[in-house]
Amino acid sequence: MLDVAKLSIVYHRVRPAVPAAMDIDFSLAPGESLGIIGESGCGKTTLALGLMGLLREAEVRGQVRFQGRDLNALAPARRRRYQWRHMAMVFQNSLEVFNPVISLGEQMAEPLRTHLGMDRRTARKRVSAMLDLTGLDPAWQDAYAHQLSGGMRQRALIAMALGCAPDLLIVDEPTTSLDPESRQAILDLLETLKQQMGFALILISHNLPAVQRLTIRLMTLYAGRLVETGRTADILRNPLHPYTRGLINAAPDFFPFKDLWGIPGAPPKPGDSTGCAFEPRCCQAESVCRRSRPPLTPVGVERQVACHKGGIETVLQAVGLIKSYRVGGRTINALKGVNLTVRRGEVAALVGPSGSGKSTLAHILVRVLTADAGEVRFLGQTVTNREATAVMGGIQIVFQDPGEAVSHRFTVLEAVREPLDILGWQDRPQRDARAAAALAAMHLPTGPDFLGRTCHALSGGQRQRVAIARALVTEPVLLVADEITAMLDPSTQAVILRELKGLQQSRGFSMLFITHDIHLARKTADRVYVLEQGRLAAQGAVFDVLAVNGNNSSPRRMPRAAMENE
Amino acid sequence: MTALNIAYGSPRRLSRLTGTLSAGGRIGLLVLIVLLLLSAAAPLVCHHSSRETSGPPLAPPNAAHWMGTDDLGVDIWAQVCFGARISLLVGIGTALLAGLGGALAGILAGYCGGWVDRILMRLIDILLVLPDLPVMIVLAAFFGPSVWTVIGVLSAFSWVFTARIVRARVLSLKQRRFIQAAETYGAGPLYLMRRHFLPEIFPLVAVGMIRLAGRAIVAEAGLSFLGLGDPTSRSWGFILHHALSFPGIYYTAFWKWWLLFPWLALTLVVLSLALIGKDFENIADPRMRSH
Repeated sequence: MLDVAKLSIVYHRVRPAVPAAMDIDFSLAPGESLGIIGESGCGKTTLALGLMGLLREAEVRGQVRFQGRDLNALAPARRRRYQWRHMAMVFQNSLEVFNPVISLGEQMAEPLRTHLGMDRRTARKRVSAMLDLTGLDPAWQDAYAHQLSGGMRQRALIAMALGCAPDLLIVDEPTTSLDPESRQAILDLLETLKQQMGFALILISHNLPAVQRLTIRLMTLYAGRLVETGRTADILRNPLHPYTRGLINAAPDFFPFKDLWGIPGAPPKPGDSTGCAFEPRCCQAESVCRRSRPPLTPVGVERQVACHKGGIETVLQAVGLIKSYRVGGRTINALKGVNLTVRRGEVAALVGPSGSGKSTLAHILVRVLTADAGEVRFLGQTVTNREATAVMGGIQIVFQDPGEAVSHRFTVLEAVREPLDILGWQDRPQRDARAAAALAAMHLPTGPDFLGRTCHALSGGQRQRVAIARALVTEPVLLVADEITAMLDPSTQAVILRELKGLQQSRGFSMLFITHDIHLARKTADRVYVLEQGRLAAQGAVFDVLAVNGNNSSPRRMPRAAMENE
Repeated sequence: MTALNIAYGSPRRLSRLTGTLSAGGRIGLLVLIVLLLLSAAAPLVCHHSSRETSGPPLAPPNAAHWMGTDDLGVDIWAQVCFGARISLLVGIGTALLAGLGGALAGILAGYCGGWVDRILMRLIDILLVLPDLPVMIVLAAFFGPSVWTVIGVLSAFSWVFTARIVRARVLSLKQRRFIQAAETYGAGPLYLMRRHFLPEIFPLVAVGMIRLAGRAIVAEAGLSFLGLGDPTSRSWGFILHHALSFPGIYYTAFWKWWLLFPWLALTLVVLSLALIGKDFENIADPRMRSH
């Protein structure tokens, strides 16, 4: 029904010209529904207006084929006939959408009379029917826009757009600035209307639950370009582009317990860079990302992503890890074949009761222990020795007991510098500077008095900070945090976790956060693995696995979610 | 807290030790230092030769001969002062040789594990089971009398104690998180030994060496007493041996100076070493720290 090819929209009246949408390709079948998400200023509304042919100040290139006709090739007058009759748009809700001095009914009747040729009376009847359909009293058609509440105005907008029974409805941010109850009502309304009238839907929204509910397919728009497309359910559960993941992770609807963290940095002006537009904010950017722009490439069934790395990279992959201990003639199977994946820039939580094998797993990942069977892959390479931990930018671990993790004889500076000393990184003054910077990042003093203090003279919280600084001094790609706050008081725990999460957010390293505390996992993690007696009992997004059912706060196990992720 | 500080302290913090010693330890240290100075400055403090006749034989202590003379008229004060050199040399030499050798063996056994550990441990077991004094007598007789033989023989039997303690410590250290962390950064055995093992086991080895020194001095005296020492070097044990070879010494009053003074010197050294060793032990072993 709708085929968009190489659609580019450039606001050419401003200097320099702003390419608000570039090379957009997509198609839509009758009755289908498509969501478009992205931060403000990414070109979502421009795209919608471009489809509708409502942009006068912009140069629109490319093809918009609608029901077999190339709309961009039509004369403006003929194109206008298409608008409202076959393709209608619900504008973003605001007072300015309606003319303040003309009554609602009159404004709503106008397209009916121009496009369908209705006379005044039929049109008024039709408007009444539409208002009724959208749950508004028909009496409101004699009112003026400012007399309506936000929710009512949204309903009136929908009623106006649906007046000519279009085949395609474009809805721009239908739920912004509405309270949760009206928001829910509007979504209910759109859903019922879509079922009743069978129109195809393009939903532009940054409200992810709305998108999840109303759309089958989803497109992520960043700086005027598509960066990811696919089925809505797939994308929301398993985003492939770091930007999409950032949007989802910032949604409080999906992560009701997690601290709110947005994508670091701000979106660029469209058309600013020659490379990947997301590169400055990306956790896995490399030089190639700065040089060239990645094309949108298929990566799976109905799935496309624009990324040089083919989507979010897998940092760590553990396959079939088995480990048993012999204790006094008995064999204890600590791990019975565990698979685990950690991707770039994500916080994966590994939760489970004491003795479930969490620490064994962590120690195998950094090769403090060796597995009986199975393998660990770091950035695609199988780890056979210390090559993943004994490098800058590798895997680092922070152990549970802060008193044990750092030699008590070392001074703070010696302790933090030790990895660099062993790795032979640069020379002494640079190591000292690097260590001091790492300490400063963990909010520790860096004066000679503190640097020269021996570690046993530090408090537990300070020691754990030193241990974290020491792990971060090599700028690891993956940080394994093994119950790092189990021995700290709740306040210190909160402060340290927030600082660590802040660093994770700004530096973009991945973290495997191991804890027995489900609440902490909910607070910090994006994805979760539940380990029980050496086996994975569940895995998936935190909102799936650790959802709260009423007062029961134990994890709801969803083996199905686990299967889907494989 | 200060004691803890010292226990894990590196050598450069040794100077602080004196502050934490008990009264006994301080007296021991003082006596030891005085004896060391005496032996070092022996030619200056002795007016007479330690080998040649310098007065009437068997003279009791008097103004010229503070500790009297022996049957050949040799000054006993000079003999005790010069003998201290031999005894302390044997003590310190054995302590260093056995202590460092034992520490090295212990680290090797503990760190490497496997067959190195098994061989070393069996060797230690054998040496522990063998009654050392008879074997020492046989060995000393076999290799001939010389101070170095005595040091060698004593070391050969004494390193096992240090080695066992050090091995146990290294085994437990290997399981410590900070060692494992250093290993994940790719730290090799040399680095671990230099930065972690040696500083950690230093207090243990120090205690062991002090104990060994006392034992070695007594053992050397014992060997010399039995006539297996070096006859050319007059250690305290040899003075005793010589005195006791004098027929019927107990029927005379000669023993009151001829035997008493070397014995007193020997006892004082061993006692002060024991006192210092006890203090070190308190500092190094947390379980013995009551305060």
